[in-house]
Amino acid sequence: MTPSTILRRHALAALARERTIALVAALFAALVLVSAYLGWSATSTVDAIYASATHWFEANGKPVPSNPVTQGSPLALLRNLTIYISLIGAFSAIVIGYRMVETDRRAGVLPLIGARPLERLDYARGKVSALALAVGGLAALAGVVGAATLAILPSVHLGPGDWARLAAFFSLGWLYMMTFGLIAIGASARARSETVGLMVPTVVWLVLTFVWPALTGNILPTAAINPISALAPAPQSTIFDLSAMLLGPFSLAEAYKYLGAELMGYLPDGLPPRGAVPPLVVMMLFAAGSGLYALRGCLKLDMTKGGPDA
Amino acid sequence: MQTDTPAVSTRGLTLSYGDFTALQPLDLDIGRGEIFGFLGHNGAGKTTTIRLLTTLMEPSGGTASVAGCDLAHNRIALRRAIGYLPENVRLYDTLTTRENLRFFAALSRIEDARDRVEEVMEFLGITDLADRRIATFSKGMRQRVGLAQAIVHRPQVLFLDEPTSGLDPMGVRQLREVLERLNGQGMTIFMNTHLLSEVARSCSSIGVLSHGQLVFHDTIETVNARYGSEEALEELYLSVVPDREVAA
Repeated sequence: MTPSTILRRHALAALARERTIALVAALFAALVLVSAYLGWSATSTVDAIYASATHWFEANGKPVPSNPVTQGSPLALLRNLTIYISLIGAFSAIVIGYRMVETDRRAGVLPLIGARPLERLDYARGKVSALALAVGGLAALAGVVGAATLAILPSVHLGPGDWARLAAFFSLGWLYMMTFGLIAIGASARARSETVGLMVPTVVWLVLTFVWPALTGNILPTAAINPISALAPAPQSTIFDLSAMLLGPFSLAEAYKYLGAELMGYLPDGLPPRGAVPPLVVMMLFAAGSGLYALRGCLKLDMTKGGPDA
Repeated sequence: MQTDTPAVSTRGLTLSYGDFTALQPLDLDIGRGEIFGFLGHNGAGKTTTIRLLTTLMEPSGGTASVAGCDLAHNRIALRRAIGYLPENVRLYDTLTTRENLRFFAALSRIEDARDRVEEVMEFLGITDLADRRIATFSKGMRQRVGLAQAIVHRPQVLFLDEPTSGLDPMGVRQLREVLERLNGQGMTIFMNTHLLSEVARSCSSIGVLSHGQLVFHDTIETVNARYGSEEALEELYLSVVPDREVAA
């Protein structure tokens, strides 16, 4: 076993023992279930009404219109997942990323690890790959719940293309959550105090989720937590034209919601992405940048410090 | 790896932060199989020296080798050859003794990690603690588990930073016996300490550091022949170490 594999396994085992992590993961799972239930409930209700209406139309010899559920993309019934992943999913990733390094520092074992025959790069690899697996577990959990919901609805029929888009959506969610987890690893590795280590990624997340969309497109915080209203076009004004052009390429949350809506089939017709940079490129650049930040944090980590007073 | 080279050798090893020099150019040779006692006041630079020699910190200048491995160019081999017990050692509180030791043994990349962990626990008399979580341990118990992680990979040179700090007299005695047994197996021991009595009883050579500068280095036989008693050793220490302390 390589040192990074040992560190990865150890980090995942330590995560599994942490109550905070279990709580956050349970909360994420609960919200994913709620999201799926809302989609299932709404669709089932429409299906039931449609069935009753169909009987009435047939009894009166009138033509039966098509089921409205089958008009749009079947994946759109899971649209609330986009919001839950960008809120509780990203925050879960922050907590997991933060604990990756902080667990070792608080335990006071960094000097014992630093004096072992491994490179700092091994340490970084171990922690980042553990984060990738932990966040992958969250994304997979959401994926299983989403897929099960779609599978049990009688009026929803998914083709191979739909399943592929659903898989792409959860991969996108994984990438989005990873970005914040990586920022948390980098911040906790570089911060001089536990508080700052958690506060930095949290502030970045709050700014990207609520402040940036308000600046680029007048998407107020209440609108930002709704999958549909978060996709409104920017007001026609010079200020928003300018802010969308300048800040749009850095609006990670909007890029994610735009791509999510595109994949799930509920993107409003003709809505352009915010700024000139394609949303996927924005997400890739953020992921790469946060990866470098986490790597640099681990490579520069002060291995002499440890313990709660470090 | 050469066996005729000193266990620890430094030439002009130094560490500076801006205008402050934490460690003046240090020239030191410690032979293989020695127990070296490193004395000095608080903030003298003893811990800094150990951190440099265990690769936890980068020196500002000079060269050093441990167990024949160059500090600058052969860090992984050097780390494989050393064991390190920091002052106030801490371990994963939520893990048991056995889990902690297996983790550090695996990181040290030894092949017989599981067997070796059992062997070390037996050697240190902590087998009864194997399945208990570290969080419930006293200082002395933690110190023994800390020592176990430091020797689990059979290092050639063992660095101990104030190993007797916070231990009761029985704990100090047990530690001394363990160190003598390890030394009897050929392990070189580099020990930072405040306790002159421990140096007089256990060490084969001593060095005294004052304000980042090595002010005395000789074998314990020479010291004993010259000064004759523990009181005289204390006189020697006080004569080479100024009475003021510096910040750590």
